[in-house]
Amino acid sequence: MNNILEIRDLEVRNLRQHDAPDGGKDGRTAGPDGVGAGAAPLVRDLSLAVGAGEFVALVGGSGSGKTLTSLSCLRLLPPQLGITRGSIRAGSLDVTAATEKDLTALRGGQVGMLFQQPKRMFNPSRTIGQHLAEPLRIHGGLRGAKARAAALEMLHDVGFADPHRGVRSYPHQLSGGMAQRAMTALALAGRPQLLLADEPTSALDKMLEQQVLRLLDRERQERGLGVLYITHNIASVAAFAHRILVMDSGSIVEAGPAGRILARPQRDYTRELLAASQLAPGSRRRPPPAEREVLTLTGVHKKFGAHRRRSHLALENVNLELKRGEILGVLGQSGSGKSTLARAVVGLEKVSSGTIGRHLDERGGKLDRATTAVQLVFQEPHSSFDPRMTLRSSMEAPLLRRAGLTAEARARRIADAMAEVELDESMLDKRPGQCSGGQLQRATIARALLLDPQVLICDEATSALDALTQRTVLNLLLRLQREHRLSLIVISHDMDVVRYMCDRVAVLLDGRVIEVAETQAFFTRPAHQHSRALVEAAIPCRGDHLQSLLHQEPRQERSAGQRPERPAAGEEPAGVSAAH
Amino acid sequence: MLPFIAKRTTTLVTAVVVSSFAVFLIPYFTPGDPVRKIIRSRVNGDVVDDASVQSLSLSLGLQDPLMLQYFRWLGRMASGDMGLSHVSRTAVAEQVLPALAVTLSLVVFSLGLAVLVSLPLGIAAGLRPGRATDKVITTVTQSFIAMPEYWVAPLLVLVFALKLSVLPSAGWAGPASMVLPAVTLALRPISYFTSAVRSGILEASAAEHVPAARARGLSQAQAVLRHVVPNGLVPLSTLFAVWFAGLLGGSVIVEVIFAVPGMGRLLFNAVINSDVPLAQGGVVVVVALAVTVTTLADFVHRLLSPTVEGSYA
Repeated sequence: MNNILEIRDLEVRNLRQHDAPDGGKDGRTAGPDGVGAGAAPLVRDLSLAVGAGEFVALVGGSGSGKTLTSLSCLRLLPPQLGITRGSIRAGSLDVTAATEKDLTALRGGQVGMLFQQPKRMFNPSRTIGQHLAEPLRIHGGLRGAKARAAALEMLHDVGFADPHRGVRSYPHQLSGGMAQRAMTALALAGRPQLLLADEPTSALDKMLEQQVLRLLDRERQERGLGVLYITHNIASVAAFAHRILVMDSGSIVEAGPAGRILARPQRDYTRELLAASQLAPGSRRRPPPAEREVLTLTGVHKKFGAHRRRSHLALENVNLELKRGEILGVLGQSGSGKSTLARAVVGLEKVSSGTIGRHLDERGGKLDRATTAVQLVFQEPHSSFDPRMTLRSSMEAPLLRRAGLTAEARARRIADAMAEVELDESMLDKRPGQCSGGQLQRATIARALLLDPQVLICDEATSALDALTQRTVLNLLLRLQREHRLSLIVISHDMDVVRYMCDRVAVLLDGRVIEVAETQAFFTRPAHQHSRALVEAAIPCRGDHLQSLLHQEPRQERSAGQRPERPAAGEEPAGVSAAH
Repeated sequence: MLPFIAKRTTTLVTAVVVSSFAVFLIPYFTPGDPVRKIIRSRVNGDVVDDASVQSLSLSLGLQDPLMLQYFRWLGRMASGDMGLSHVSRTAVAEQVLPALAVTLSLVVFSLGLAVLVSLPLGIAAGLRPGRATDKVITTVTQSFIAMPEYWVAPLLVLVFALKLSVLPSAGWAGPASMVLPAVTLALRPISYFTSAVRSGILEASAAEHVPAARARGLSQAQAVLRHVVPNGLVPLSTLFAVWFAGLLGGSVIVEVIFAVPGMGRLLFNAVINSDVPLAQGGVVVVVALAVTVTTLADFVHRLLSPTVEGSYA
């Protein structure tokens, strides 16, 4: 086959081995994937090839060296890292020996790159049009009106209903899905033969993920684009990948045709990844929740903005109850009001009307029970800790308000909480920048436990974690829920997480609860049309389904006469892919 | 953008009105009867009889309700009539406006100088943090903070006026006379601006969109020029406005030392001589100008960083 990318025996090392890992000074981690100094190579003996029109998935947990591999292909490794062995060829260019000038033609020209957090990958003070102008000028030689016309066409191609508005938009004005489409347009603007996609959809919900994947697949079919798709979620690419390469600790541990890997994984690590990416529902036995309610929401409204025209109803007549010991899942796309709901229940947000009743147990203390009995676990572990404080001081802060706790008692409580979440006590003296996402998320849970809560709200608590870490954190939450008789509200856009964890499911759409049902019933017979779309987008990706998935038509195409899509400001309606 | 402008303009007008009311109240809170002061300044005598106090305060409208007096006073201010100076018996406006022109040119010159110096220094330091260049630049510019104007000014005069005789030591005649006061005034802004530019650049270079731009084929230099430097300069626009506003009335020491006939010296003298109308007129003009400049800076800031939208509008 005609390979457009060929990596042979690649080895990447930290060139400054004597540097102490320095995360405390400015609270930042050393590099992508939390690379620290060490003698062992970060990537070793890695060989892979991508042919024209081929979709290759590179799968592995965080820190396995996936990102470093893709950055190596463009020679864009952070300065402290370097390629110490091996060769990379892109087309006819030897990347490892290329001059700066050749690399400029390579980056964005021959090889395009998609990133994980599309919004952060745009310059916030430049419009999408100004971004698109760069590759169009550098690689296409287009300027002025021609560049503008090309930019409009690119945006139209990736599914912008109103490209004119798209080019004028600033990144922050786009939704997550639209931003990733714009990023895709940007990566494709130089007409690359190869696209390096580094977890481009991990931050998106399942529906948007499928849309982006279909978009890439269309480019692949139409003009033979080769795709190297990096992800931690093996299931997400099952329907599109020809070959799957599994990466662990810097090298490829298993490789083969997608069907074979998914159906008959050889290595334990691959099996773990597979298991983690499809959280098996109903694998746990739990006592039925007690009848007594701990939380009741009655007619809750939340309006943002005082202006008549600009005000926005984030929650509209929400009625929900949470029983003691129950795990309630709240599903919804981004912008549906999930986080507002969480903040309202904890009391961080005042509701405009309606009541939130807390019916808590009288467990010991009397003071501030109402405020601490409901605790929140946030999505972004790194931003829910003060970067300048050690974990110990961060965790101690809420305890200082408790009267009658000696320093010793506080230390003991913190140590107990750390043991609960299976973290070593030595972590306490680190700063957030020195910890991994999984460790921090455990610490967040420990911090919530310190105040002896009765209700724990997990707002996308595992969305930022890779599949393996996600699974262990979810299991941790389940154990804690059991042992402490906690009631949990699990807010997520991830159907698998909800199905794995929850007794009941509530679906939010534009601030309204459109469906509440038992988990089992919900996933077999979703009542509302939007719920059906959500459930369908969460494809059950098993190896034996692969063939049927590969030949399946994109769901829910709209008829030709219909307007294909709403303008960019709203979230994308279900199933409207870019395939028009 | 329109609602943003409307909102900021409302804030501007409110700030001017509120602060002008405070200025209007000055004579009511300062010791001594203003009417007697006026009479004393007119007749050059110490004895003031109650009858003439009575009649003058009537003719000046001082018996009217306070708010009426205030709006009358504000109206006159707005039309450029700031009353007569107690000391010189000339129109306040005729003293304030030339002084304002002097101070404006001094401030523009010195802050322009500060920007010209601190931009390259801050960018150089911010692009390579921790290197020798950064350390030298940071140490030197930071030391400027600790140099008081009353110490720097005589030093400069000693060297450039007395020893080298290349620049005039004081006075206000032509561009040459602006150099020493402007340099003295520029030192502290230079150190603040440099450090703001440096940290702005540092932050902007750490943004993830910079390597993303390089992955599109931009060279390191292009990425820095397009995506680091413009973003890194945003904080400077705000800081510039704060200093501009502050120096309008706050360049007293330099103006006194170099005998520059500017606002600072004018206000200083007005206060020393308890020349209330002069002080009032001067302060109102300075406040109005300062608030306008900060508002303009907000507009510029808004243009430079479109994400501000959410937090203001």
